[in-house]
Amino acid sequence: MKKLFILTGLLVPAVLFGQLDRSVRPAAAKAPTINIKDSEVFTTANGITVILSENHKLPKVAFNFVMGSDPITEGNKAGLSELAGSLVLSGTSSRSKDKLDGEKDYIGATLEASESNLYLSCLTKHMDKGLELMSDVFYNANFPESEFDRVKKQNESNLMSAKSDPGTMADNVERKVNFTNHPYGDVMTEESLKNITRDDILNYYKAIFTTKGSYLVIVGDITKDQATSLVNKYFAKTSGVAPYTQELGKGNFNKGNRVIFVKKPGAVQSVIQVSFPLDIRTGDQNQLPLTVLNGVFGGGGFGTRLMQNLREDKAYTYGCYSSLNVTEDGSWLSIGGNFRNDVSDSAITQILFELDRITNGYVTDDELNLTKSSMAGGFSRSLENPQTIARFALNIIKNNLNKDYYQSYLKRLEAISKDDVLTMAQKFFTAKNCNIVVIGNEEIIDRLKQFDADGKIEFLDAFGNEVKEMKAADIKKEVLIDNYIFAVTKTTSLKAASKKLKKVKSVVEETELSMSQIPFPLKNSKVWVSPSTEGQKLEGQGMVLQKSYFDGTAGYSVNMQTGRTELTAEEIAAKKKSVGLFPEMNYSSTGMTYELIGIENVDGVDMYVLKLNDGETETFDYFNTKTFMKMKSISIQKNGEETVETTATYGDFKEVNGLLFPHSMTLSVGEATFTGKTTSIAVNGKADLSTFK
Amino acid sequence: MKKTIVTGLLAFVALSTQAQKKIEYVEYDLPNGIHVILHEEHSTPNVAVSILYHVGSKNETPERTGFAHFFEHLLFEGSANIGRGEYSELVEKNGGTLNANTSQDRTYYYEILPSNQLELGLWLESERLLHAKVDNTGIETQRSVVKEEKRQRVDNQPYASFITEMFKRMFTVHPYNWVPIGSMEHLDAAQEEDYVNFYKTFYVPQNATLSIAGDLNIVETKKWIEKYYGSIPKGQAINLLRDFENLADADFEKRYGIAKSKFDTKDFMNSKDPEAKKLITSLASKPVVIPRPTKDTEKLNGVIKDVVYDNIQLPALFMGYKFPAQTDADMYALEMMNEVLSGGASSRINKSIVEKKEMATFAFSFNYGLEDAGVGIFAAIAANGVSLDSIQMEFDAQIELMKTELISQEEFEKVRNKIENDLVSSNSSIAGVAENLADNHVYYGSASRANTQLEGYMKVTREDILRVAKKYLTQDARVILHYLPKETK
Repeated sequence: MKKLFILTGLLVPAVLFGQLDRSVRPAAAKAPTINIKDSEVFTTANGITVILSENHKLPKVAFNFVMGSDPITEGNKAGLSELAGSLVLSGTSSRSKDKLDGEKDYIGATLEASESNLYLSCLTKHMDKGLELMSDVFYNANFPESEFDRVKKQNESNLMSAKSDPGTMADNVERKVNFTNHPYGDVMTEESLKNITRDDILNYYKAIFTTKGSYLVIVGDITKDQATSLVNKYFAKTSGVAPYTQELGKGNFNKGNRVIFVKKPGAVQSVIQVSFPLDIRTGDQNQLPLTVLNGVFGGGGFGTRLMQNLREDKAYTYGCYSSLNVTEDGSWLSIGGNFRNDVSDSAITQILFELDRITNGYVTDDELNLTKSSMAGGFSRSLENPQTIARFALNIIKNNLNKDYYQSYLKRLEAISKDDVLTMAQKFFTAKNCNIVVIGNEEIIDRLKQFDADGKIEFLDAFGNEVKEMKAADIKKEVLIDNYIFAVTKTTSLKAASKKLKKVKSVVEETELSMSQIPFPLKNSKVWVSPSTEGQKLEGQGMVLQKSYFDGTAGYSVNMQTGRTELTAEEIAAKKKSVGLFPEMNYSSTGMTYELIGIENVDGVDMYVLKLNDGETETFDYFNTKTFMKMKSISIQKNGEETVETTATYGDFKEVNGLLFPHSMTLSVGEATFTGKTTSIAVNGKADLSTFK
Repeated sequence: MKKTIVTGLLAFVALSTQAQKKIEYVEYDLPNGIHVILHEEHSTPNVAVSILYHVGSKNETPERTGFAHFFEHLLFEGSANIGRGEYSELVEKNGGTLNANTSQDRTYYYEILPSNQLELGLWLESERLLHAKVDNTGIETQRSVVKEEKRQRVDNQPYASFITEMFKRMFTVHPYNWVPIGSMEHLDAAQEEDYVNFYKTFYVPQNATLSIAGDLNIVETKKWIEKYYGSIPKGQAINLLRDFENLADADFEKRYGIAKSKFDTKDFMNSKDPEAKKLITSLASKPVVIPRPTKDTEKLNGVIKDVVYDNIQLPALFMGYKFPAQTDADMYALEMMNEVLSGGASSRINKSIVEKKEMATFAFSFNYGLEDAGVGIFAAIAANGVSLDSIQMEFDAQIELMKTELISQEEFEKVRNKIENDLVSSNSSIAGVAENLADNHVYYGSASRANTQLEGYMKVTREDILRVAKKYLTQDARVILHYLPKETK
């Protein structure tokens, strides 16, 4: 929609100023050259390559200590490196985490760590103290058990969220299908996380955080003499073995396109990612022209081929982009966006069409110039950040690039022609070996077969692993519900169950919900009063964040930000389909649409899957095939083009007044996952409805 | 494009300038009054072009509040030579970015461009200054944008009205009485002519500071500045030109007594007609009268205590003290005092009120420093069930301690370290340098303060901090606001 028309024709003829015609827009001067100073490079006796880039503009200095190992392939311990990286700053043999944080704050420094680097930034006059801390972490990190447990727990919650977030699912699957037996194909799962022990972390740290083969990139207000003496003072000791190396493959180059499908029950739109590996590494002479090609194709903004076709012209999506990932360990192109169910197949058709089209003709001058200008501007502005300079210096050394590789960036960019772009397209965008990953509703599967070279769609799960097909159910839906009622009421006949439930007049339940990102717990209260009044309230720090109330015929919800909203007629109709303490008992008479769709194996346990639809929300309830208890519930609420998905799991069933209630739960909404503990359940106690109104 | 009102907190950050490395610059005035500051630095091939207009909400009249901020939006609508919506497109397609912001004291516009587009940036800003589009179409568009901004940033944000409420009571005479976002009713009630007059009064060369930093050549830049800004008419002549461009023949003649045809459209400023020439010369010699309030001298008489009902769940306490203007020498010590009280997790207020006593979910203090006056604010959102009076007692205890005992040597060192680190980091970008230089020129009368600010802080002693605490934290003259949930009204 943003078009770069120049509306001069519509303007009032302006006044002139002698020789100066103000309507003439100044042309760009000659493209500037950049001024990246050559770095000094020296090595230490224990194998550290020190890269020093002096910059005395500000009295600050940054040290990036990058390990020399290749990434490890993690297999059944996928996620190990990531976990280790997030634990490196948890303390050392002589400093607790609190002490480390305190000493860092006193000098106003930044100290960060990842799976393969340590980073320090501070005022030059505090660098001695800063390096003392960095060196302590490098040689003496001790990974306390308590921190290991805490971070592992945090990851467990993250994985819960990942299972319902289609974007994360698509990224996971994309990595898996493009890179098999390659570190990029390692995707953490609940199982692989369980396999990781504290010893694994310690071993990783010992193997990877070694002096030999590492790089210490120093940028800022520091002289070579100072740098040399500080490196000698803090990093002279040899640590660890030789860096870990392995031959990394280039990824899976398919013969023909593959379609990989991940089922997302109830989805109204599909996340589509079309990707393929590229035979190119950081610093390759083709990298820059390929980046320009990607910019014209779909790299960003409204003017790209993908946006013009799929958004502006066809209105299939709000955004469709391509991202080019070129690294020293593996490279790939990923094209994607979100598309309505009914245009998912057409979107793939158009993406493949654009891939083909750009290999068949020149891009226009406007396309090329817009991309080159915005790349040049972005590159130039990025140079203000000293971290950018540090990354360049390191890339030059690690990848054996010409000394002036980045210095000449703008010149090389300027020189790229339409011919170069076409050459790149013909070399890399063959469009015949795509991995077409679709996360979506299974109703669209048939329409995707046409894109698969052998017509066989592969089905994977949220983490890119094979899914076992759902088995047919061995009982009828009515039998499942009866057995469920027997289980929760601890009875063996419907008559006995009804008798028991008749005595239940009210239930008040309080649950404490916690989440790693929120420092305080939330309190969720629920009330049910026979026959069909229900209220719910979520509080945090004494504030009521949200509440809702329904008396069987009407109701409303109150949200802290948006205020009170009455239930619509549709919502009331839907609510009326789930009445009672155990609404399942009444499905046959309330008009609920429900269907037993089969048996699914969830983390090693067989579960019956009951699909419900009340007209507003689609829900998938999972019942253990042996105990018949409800273990999990996924509900999908449609909100126009969007869906909101909530996943709840239940456990720790305990008896209260002869009925079984779960006392632990997890709740995932979007990217947030809460873990909950029920603090009290009162049956037939005092149910004060007023606090929910 | 995000255009924002500088809130109190941001203003505080923006004020923190300076490093121990000297910033080199040249500065001069053009004959039409534009002050030019140039900082040449070639470390990256970028250039930041900015203009600071010395107009903020304090220059508004009480019946037309919100104008300064409104103009920050309106002046992206284009000019006589730039189509509607084209302003930002021209920057972006040439590899740059742009933004603007408004405070009580100033309105600030900037572009960051590849340095070979410096001339483009200069032209763009000169168009905005000379003859921006101030018409009903743009006014209508931007009214709805500004209303949406107010809804998002003020109305729907719990507690967000506290600056408005505090300043209303703190300043009953000075126009700091209202805040930049102003009144939507005033914006609605205003006519096109009101907007045109605001533009003609404040967007004039004598009220503009052009600050440019980055990869530039001073000689060449001066030539371009002469080309695009030197030709901008001086004094009231600029408004003659604007009227010439915008008014119909008859209206123009009615206003000036000379027909438009007497002027030379090929070279307006050098029109040959003797009558036209005379008028141009006479108007150019008369400066535009820019209304500025006199400095705030109002004293707080006693304690003003009030309740404000808001869409909130937890009550909150806001206490305000009259502080001196940001240019006062005491501000260095007051800033350091504030760091002791509220600078980070280990500060006194956070440690006592939030962590140890758990009386508040958030508690902090900050200095809202402005050109004509300052306000020291203490704020706390109560923990559930904690009374605001008990929080006030705890604040008062901390204030009492501040006024009676020297801070420890360790606290002193930590605060000095933190201030130095913040000052140094604030000069890491060319955009930051351009802004620092312009601010210091306009508010402190000299861009050179950009190089001496750290010195100012380092001279402060522990005794100074004790002294300013005693002088300004006046328990018998302050504003105390209790924010309570609307339901409790």
